Amino acid sequence: MIKGNLHPISSLVRQAVKIFEPLGFEVFEGPEVDSEWYNFDALNMPADHPARDMQDTFWLTDGRVLRTQTSNGQVRYGEKHKPPFRILSPGQIYRNEATDYKHEMSVFQLEGLYVDKGVKVGHLFYTLEYFFKKMYGPDTEVKFVPSFFPFVEPGFEVSARHNDKWLELLGAGMVHPRVIKNMGQDPKKYSGFAFGMGVDRLVMLKYGIEDIRLLRSGDLRFLKQF
Amino acid sequence: MKILKSWLKDFVSSDISDDELVEILTLAGLDVASITSGIDENIIVGKIKSIKTHPSADKLQIVIVNTGKEDLQIVCGAKNIKIGQLVPLALPGACVAGTNIVKANIRGIESAGMMCSERELSLGQDHSGIFILPGEYEVGKKLSEYLGGDTVVDLDVTANRGDCLSHLGIAREVAAAKNLQIKKEPISLKHSILEHSSAKISFDVKNPDLCPQYFARVITGVKIGPSPEWLQQRLIDCGTKPINNVVDVTNYILLDLGHPLHAFDWKKIKKSTIIVRTAKKTERIVTLDNEIRNLGSEMLVIADSTKPIAIAGIMGGENSEVDETTETVVLEAAEFDRKNIRKTSKDLNLSTVASYRFERGVDFGAIEYAINKAADLIVKTAGGKLMQGIVQSGTPSDKITIKIEYDLINQLLGLKLNEEDIDHILRHLGFSISAGIAEVPSWRHDISIWQDIAEEIGRIIGYDAIRPEILPKTARPGKSAYYFKEKLKDFLVSSGYTETMNYPFLSEDDIVAAKLNVKNLLEISNPIQPENKYLRNSLVPGLLKNIAKNPSFDQIAIFEIGHIFSKTSEFTNLAIATAGKSLELHDKTIAKLALEFKIAEKEFKISQFTRDELIRYKVKKPAVEVTEIILSKIVENKKIDQSIVLKTASGKILYRGVSKYPAITRDLAFVVDKKLDIKKVSDDIYAVSELINRVELFDEFASEKFGIGKKNIAFHICLQSKYKTLKDSEAEDVIKAIIKSIERKYKAKLRG
Repeated sequence: MIKGNLHPISSLVRQAVKIFEPLGFEVFEGPEVDSEWYNFDALNMPADHPARDMQDTFWLTDGRVLRTQTSNGQVRYGEKHKPPFRILSPGQIYRNEATDYKHEMSVFQLEGLYVDKGVKVGHLFYTLEYFFKKMYGPDTEVKFVPSFFPFVEPGFEVSARHNDKWLELLGAGMVHPRVIKNMGQDPKKYSGFAFGMGVDRLVMLKYGIEDIRLLRSGDLRFLKQF
Repeated sequence: MKILKSWLKDFVSSDISDDELVEILTLAGLDVASITSGIDENIIVGKIKSIKTHPSADKLQIVIVNTGKEDLQIVCGAKNIKIGQLVPLALPGACVAGTNIVKANIRGIESAGMMCSERELSLGQDHSGIFILPGEYEVGKKLSEYLGGDTVVDLDVTANRGDCLSHLGIAREVAAAKNLQIKKEPISLKHSILEHSSAKISFDVKNPDLCPQYFARVITGVKIGPSPEWLQQRLIDCGTKPINNVVDVTNYILLDLGHPLHAFDWKKIKKSTIIVRTAKKTERIVTLDNEIRNLGSEMLVIADSTKPIAIAGIMGGENSEVDETTETVVLEAAEFDRKNIRKTSKDLNLSTVASYRFERGVDFGAIEYAINKAADLIVKTAGGKLMQGIVQSGTPSDKITIKIEYDLINQLLGLKLNEEDIDHILRHLGFSISAGIAEVPSWRHDISIWQDIAEEIGRIIGYDAIRPEILPKTARPGKSAYYFKEKLKDFLVSSGYTETMNYPFLSEDDIVAAKLNVKNLLEISNPIQPENKYLRNSLVPGLLKNIAKNPSFDQIAIFEIGHIFSKTSEFTNLAIATAGKSLELHDKTIAKLALEFKIAEKEFKISQFTRDELIRYKVKKPAVEVTEIILSKIVENKKIDQSIVLKTASGKILYRGVSKYPAITRDLAFVVDKKLDIKKVSDDIYAVSELINRVELFDEFASEKFGIGKKNIAFHICLQSKYKTLKDSEAEDVIKAIIKSIERKYKAKLRG
């Protein structure tokens, strides 16, 4: 029987989901079209804040947006579930930027969220180190440096050393109390951590793919190599 | 934003290496886009002790150079050197003019480094010989301590650290990291005349809510001309063009202290009156970039008695600009409402280095210092007399105070710091602490909750100090619809289908080709390409376009699982498409799918296409069929099988790239042993030539008619070069080599 091929993005997401399974993470998928509130305001990015410039957004004529991160799904989940919970949100996200061999207007993202009582930075570090070591090997080194995302505080840029090169692979941080509040939970009782990775980029690094646009080209000469 | 390492020394006395500087910047959460250094740190001052000719090369010499620690043997071709001279010696590890210096063997003689010319050090044009150094230099010292360019760092500053948009701001981070003090020299203003500024200019702030502080000073009798060399050089190194002394000073203070200032020509201000007010809807102004700006009633302007003379905090007007004729300068330094500046900037589509800083918040406690430093600098560079006093409106707002939650901070970071340690770090960052309450410095606009303080503590201590903590145990999570979809994908892949992923956009042409009604579709108001402005309500057009895009494949079997959108809802759909001579696979697969996944027949929407429809999609295949299912509806009421296990690939996949140049495809069929592993044959074919991009098995059939215990295997062989279009003859050569290799290795027989 001649076999077909799974899209390399699907297989990498699958690999990641499998790694997080023993840590108790469940998969939850949210909508790609959402309101401004779920995509920005709920995530501590009000309209008048420069933080909105960090992304270029596709706006719909009805006032909604094509989501710029999968965190909208996380807020929706938080509204309907009582902590503690651990979820992974995979999905397509959209950025209104010109495409070239490194930049795309649609990329696949995988985010994670853990909300509980007394969640610490140490828990986040543990989880991400666990993930990188399972993904790239037990000798993988992981590094955390300060960074800024409006929906977390403190925020981190996470790099892993793989094949002798340090690569920035993830953004992460402790969920901002305002976001916890927007989920309908009490930030004095609950805290959490969140992280997000661009799957397209990880796929390109894994296979040495030269042009990000190939992933959505529908070109069978590309797709049939996987 | 560019910063100069030497400029930082104005504020903090620290000799830090470039590496240290990058580390400190990273600790501030800033991204170093690029760093260009002065003279390489591995180039030292050496002293020539002896010179001998090279035994095997007349043009070379063997020179013994003392480094202060040892004598090194250097092979050198220069003729201008003499014993006792001091020279720049590049040691292994240095990078000189793009070359990495290593211990080398030159015509049989070891050379432990290289002496440098002026040109190699980027200090001048001379390359005729070694650059001889002044005798006062100390042997062994780094040359960068005496000579050379500055280290220039290009930074990306995140939206929360507006305070880092200046040399003072960065210097603060260096001071905090190295436990040093910031030196901010007091400004002693000279050359004042007894007359008060308010005698020359009167003003009125009509919207104090949008302009909480406004300061102005007046300098009379200036002479407009070029700024001094040192000032121009600093501006140029930071990417700013020098214009004239007064304007340059305002740009300098922006880079220096981070405060945007503006200078007006006093004589152009009607009735010598400055009014800070919102614009009238009908007002316009020609800004300094020669553009006409139509103002709105929410925009704040600086106006004189009749008209706007500047868009507050964003850009000045041509009607009040400082030029060669200016004799009296009105210098403005203010605090403007951040949100208002941002809104005006967006509405006018005008973003400047000034508006950028006002949006992110300026140091509201240091405006007087900024205007005084600027005024002093103007007098020093343009001459003139500074009038007494500042014309001022408003006072600095109260600083934010936060209760330092010592326990919560320790808990969050997993540390055991005592209160004094935490207070000490905060004080070093500019916070005032009193009885567990922190007063946030006036230049920080990103600190408002205890978690913000926790981040300050964490980043200064260093995140290496935080130990990973295992997560509390929890039950295995439930398996959601994601698992069901992955199982579907596996089924389709094993049935021979390839997964594709398409953009969700549809163009006007797609709408026409698919005969869709635009009224049902969601529309994007700011598409990248104006044609692609609709969101798909079906996966079918995307799959048809995929088929059209693969003319070199005779049989196509693809599927996509993705979101579709209508005005009222969003669903996840599955669509399966088959194209080619036979659609047998399609029908077989759909039937099996329905059975195995218990999907009712009515859920399947089958599309078959007429010749005309296929032509509209540019599809040339003889037969095409697409079946679509609304997965969301299937999964809605289904209980997901909790025993589904995600299958991950076991073998290693080698990606061979996709060339821009057309491929040549040939089919080869062999009769081989029934038990032969296809993968081995396939790997062996790939090994024949790099030009083989893809080997695809399309038939495997065991039958007695091929011989007892034999089977027929047939491959599509796809040949492609990364660099050019292959010639038929080149392809034939590779095919011949494949046949030879496989026939020999597997005692296979090529089937005609």
